[in-house]
Amino acid sequence: MFEETPQASQSSSLAGSSSGRVRMLTSALFDSLVLQGKGPIAVEFMSYGCAHCRAIEPILQRVAEMVKGKEKIFQVNVAVEPGLAESFEIQGTPTFVMFLNGQEAGRAEGAPPNVSSVLTAVTQPFE
Amino acid sequence: MIPSPTSPKQNKPVLLFDNECGVCRRIAAWVKKSAQLKSEEPSLIVRPIGDDPEALRALNPALDIWEAYATIHLVMPDGSMKRGGEAVAEVLRKLPPTRWLARSFSISIFGFRPFQALLNVGYFILADVRPLFGCESCGTPSLWVRSIKWLINLPKLVFGRQPRPSVTPHFTAISKAAHPK
Repeated sequence: MFEETPQASQSSSLAGSSSGRVRMLTSALFDSLVLQGKGPIAVEFMSYGCAHCRAIEPILQRVAEMVKGKEKIFQVNVAVEPGLAESFEIQGTPTFVMFLNGQEAGRAEGAPPNVSSVLTAVTQPFE
Repeated sequence: MIPSPTSPKQNKPVLLFDNECGVCRRIAAWVKKSAQLKSEEPSLIVRPIGDDPEALRALNPALDIWEAYATIHLVMPDGSMKRGGEAVAEVLRKLPPTRWLARSFSISIFGFRPFQALLNVGYFILADVRPLFGCESCGTPSLWVRSIKWLINLPKLVFGRQPRPSVTPHFTAISKAAHPK
């Protein structure tokens, strides 16, 4: 299930910058990297001002390292991309939306800030 | 999208505030007003933190956007930073109405600054109780704040008022005020 595709690997380097392994996406790249992306992809809809997102950030970086090569993880800042948040009916942050070959496969709202919860949230829809 | 602080060289201190927190917005508005009370030129610049980590690093390379949202930061004209209670003291020093009060924070007794220590504690408490004043972005309140909240809500529970529907823990509802379209 968790196969890294050359396309996903190549295109992730085009995404906007963020700290660590998780790349920040803008709406301009969302289509090509997520909706047209191959394989399992998790997108965290977040905001820098959200304390829960702050708590989950270092954990997400660790989880991204753990699933490296199996799954891509991206972030979308809802303050910068309100249109994307609205089109995916995001009610709050952090919300993880999981995509498999461009189709939504599941979502998780407000995962507790620990590795096992976040890992489960971003991998369970693909099992 | 909130405009980000982009000018790396300022000749005035820059106070960064959390625009997603209602309490912080109100305090920032008061600071902004007070900074311009006695002159046309404000004594400091008040700006929302924004959403651009690079713009913040342009103010000071050590300024991390997550950290900026967690604690009040004041970026000095020389690029140095003051945080928490020290930042509050410096802001009060810069404001004409509070300059007299701010002198007390510099009083030192054998190297210990008692009024600054009090201010540090006061800032810590204020930062912790923000969720009580409707700051949804401030996260899960700490245990002592939750106890106060529970006591405040106790009469409502005892006298039969319906408690508010619980929200998902570890989750912040998107605020329309903080993210206007």
